[in-house]
Amino acid sequence: MTDGPLFWVLGVSAVVGGVSVFRFDSMARATYALLFSLLCVGGEVMLLGLDYLGVVIVLMMTVEMAVMGVFMIMYMMNPAGLTPMPMLHNRRGATVISLVVLAGLTAGILLVPWPSRRGRPPADATEQLGLSLMGPQMLTMMTLGMALFATIVATVVLATRRGRYDRLGDGLGARHADDPVRGGVGR
Amino acid sequence: MADPGPLWSAALLPALLITAAAATAGLDAVLTAGAARGRAGTVRETASRAAAPVREVVRLLVRQPRRTTAMDVTLLRIGVVLLPTTAVLAAAVLPLGFRAVGDPDIGVVWFNALEALAWAAVWLTGWASNSALALIGGYRFLAQGLAYELPHMFALTTAALGAGSLRVGGVVDAQAGLWFVVWMPVAFVVYLVSAMAMAFWGPFDQPVGRDVSGGAGAELSGADRVLFFGGRWLLLVVAAAVGVPLFLGGGHGPWLPGWAWVLVKTAAVLAVLVRVRHLVPAVRMDRYTEIAWLVLTPLTVLQALVVAVVVLGR
Amino acid sequence: MDLTPLVRLRRAALRRPAVLVAAGPGATRVRLAVERELPRRGWPTAHGPADADLLVVAGDPGTGHAEWAAGVWDAMGAPRARVAVGAAERVADALDEAHRALLAACRATGGGHPTVERRPQEPGRGSDLTAHRRRSPGAGPQHGRTGHEEHTGHGTSGVAGAAMAERADDRDGLRLDRLHLPLGPMLPDWPAGLVLRLALQGDVIQRAAVETPPPSAHHTRPAYWDEPWLRALRGETVSRGAAARRLCAAHLDSLGRLLAVAGWGDAAARARSVRDAALTDTPAAELPPLVDALARRVRRSWVLRRSTAGLGVLTGARAVAAGATGPAQTATEDGHGDVYGRLLAWLAGAERASAESADARPLDGPAARTGPRGALDGPCPPSRALLDLLPALLDGAEFAGARLIVASLDPDLDGLVTSAAGSADGTEVRGG
Repeated sequence: MTDGPLFWVLGVSAVVGGVSVFRFDSMARATYALLFSLLCVGGEVMLLGLDYLGVVIVLMMTVEMAVMGVFMIMYMMNPAGLTPMPMLHNRRGATVISLVVLAGLTAGILLVPWPSRRGRPPADATEQLGLSLMGPQMLTMMTLGMALFATIVATVVLATRRGRYDRLGDGLGARHADDPVRGGVGR
Repeated sequence: MADPGPLWSAALLPALLITAAAATAGLDAVLTAGAARGRAGTVRETASRAAAPVREVVRLLVRQPRRTTAMDVTLLRIGVVLLPTTAVLAAAVLPLGFRAVGDPDIGVVWFNALEALAWAAVWLTGWASNSALALIGGYRFLAQGLAYELPHMFALTTAALGAGSLRVGGVVDAQAGLWFVVWMPVAFVVYLVSAMAMAFWGPFDQPVGRDVSGGAGAELSGADRVLFFGGRWLLLVVAAAVGVPLFLGGGHGPWLPGWAWVLVKTAAVLAVLVRVRHLVPAVRMDRYTEIAWLVLTPLTVLQALVVAVVVLGR
Repeated sequence: MDLTPLVRLRRAALRRPAVLVAAGPGATRVRLAVERELPRRGWPTAHGPADADLLVVAGDPGTGHAEWAAGVWDAMGAPRARVAVGAAERVADALDEAHRALLAACRATGGGHPTVERRPQEPGRGSDLTAHRRRSPGAGPQHGRTGHEEHTGHGTSGVAGAAMAERADDRDGLRLDRLHLPLGPMLPDWPAGLVLRLALQGDVIQRAAVETPPPSAHHTRPAYWDEPWLRALRGETVSRGAAARRLCAAHLDSLGRLLAVAGWGDAAARARSVRDAALTDTPAAELPPLVDALARRVRRSWVLRRSTAGLGVLTGARAVAAGATGPAQTATEDGHGDVYGRLLAWLAGAERASAESADARPLDGPAARTGPRGALDGPCPPSRALLDLLPALLDGAEFAGARLIVASLDPDLDGLVTSAAGSADGTEVRGG
């Protein structure tokens, strides 16, 4: 019975949070407004009975936004509200793109013939999710996982200026890696 | 077995956590004073030393609030309030005995997600203070988070894997015979280490370290300071307490009722964590990250593999 | 007495005020007395102005120290009190007076609980205090005294008169924001009076420049840590035992600072209490066991070794070229010349010295010329050499590592002039 009001509260909050992303003139505020919006979305997903997915959204988005903080400091060491900066770029293009996407999604929601429920919801939705991902979709998931991982590794390799030959010498034989800052393993 | 508690237990939970945090802080204060001034001679003196955290709270609360130039007050308030809030919300899945305030199917992930919100809280506090040292403290915690989180997640996964359930109550039920710590020692040790790291406590207290004059909390005064550092104590208590249902059998044990066992085990874990702070100097993240990723992560993966094989063979 | 309950509560809460010690050049003796007195009373020490009730300004006025202290004072919230202590013997009385002033101050502001936005660095003088984009009042203790030419070019656009951070290439060749941060002179566990001007990119120090206060006109006494050797050099008779005690205490003082920066509060507190034992009239026979126990505990710590080894490596050639002679130089011979090596050199030096603390023979030979930080009859004071080494060692270091490097060299700014300050017995109390 609280689900109905809660749905609306979370939904409106998510939209307000999303709008504020574009209203704030501070990178930190914009980032955390976005996080707030996404946390509300996580809450909505949990209301749908998909607890696992909802909490994972909360977890992933929080960590993601926290990592954004690292970049914020890299590119802008002005903390707090010291330097207001506009958060809007390419206004016309962005407006067009977002309107088209919005229209597409709305059309999808209204036009797709949604299936009606057959059977009952499972007792443990998390287990069902795991079974369907790791059962028939196992190959897809593994391929996807490896592709994502390879992308991350490749990006880092391309971005870094120093490779293993810089660190360990041409024969890769150096006992200690030549790093600007030494790690804790003592290689 | 683990049922959600009645509604009043939700009101009781913060009080219980605050009491536990005050007791832990008292123990820590006694140890700290012992190092600086020698052992307390009398019981009275010991009690006076143990009361230091309470005195400190009163002292801070009567102080005039102060702000720094061009501080982002909104973000600072959010960060400062968020820290104790996440700690209390994370504790909602903690079974006292065999009953928690709430025992959702995904309790372990819930705990993990809220503990990540603490990253946001500390970073926001450091950033919003508009002070260089607070900023450094704030981003130090992000580096720390990225270092400890990977092995930590594998440790949590291992416990859930052993029980075949993400429900904290389910994990407790699975330990009716054998505590997980016995056959998942690596995961347990890694969990303890990351418990200290997530509460930026002990060897992992660099985000609020003395070398940055208090780091993320450097500019806080009055109630803000009480909330922030109090929230950190709560987080430490919750992190220690979650180790009990995950690895130490929760309420299982002979003679005593379940809730008493949980209290005893939590107190033991907290005593260990507090003691570590006095025995071990700080671990810097430029060194620890490599250890976490190159040593602890493979170890926890191996541990998870062993547990997975055992579970499959059952 | 018509104390309202609120005032009564505040006074009770301030029975043990948190103390921030702002030690300036020439104040070693006073600082040591304060550090001995505070644990005795059970008064906590504050990390910075945000949680301090009482400001103890120790040191010689006239070195610009008063301005820094004023910046810290402005950053403290009410109720607060401050006291300037000039002589070690006056410390206990001064703390009592300041405490009374604090209780009176809390009565004066007893009724209300206003929120005051403190702006210690008003645009007019802001650039003086902070030398770059203005930080918080809390950054007060880190801030230097004077503005710097290098910053004036960036203008004062941005908010509240603060300049933008400009960009520069970083260690890995990325073009990132660069922050100019003056570090010191009143950080906790920091060499008194030292100011480092850092250019920071993220956590990495791109450039560091050392700034030291000008020698004061009030120098009347030799630098505290070098005193026995300077007196011996002047021809006075100093016993070996007295010099050994001072040497032992000097190393333990440096060690305490390094351990505190390394995040090991307990061992730091222990080092300081053994230091005090060496300086007071502890029987000579009791001293070596205390020092040995501390040294064993510190040497046993695997984590400390792991986290300080390989940091701030100083080669023997560079140490010699800079004219370093003390533990910083011996560490390059016995060990790797890193932070951990210097720590071990202090431990060994303190152990040796503690064993000699009963020696009543007069100080002579080469030992009579070598103080805790090196040879005192060389071309430049030993601490000068340490300061000259600092910028190169800090280049490319990360912030936490940089603090450890500074603490492991521990230059004594009092020792930069052969006779340093110890000002007259002036105690001044203010409440506010």
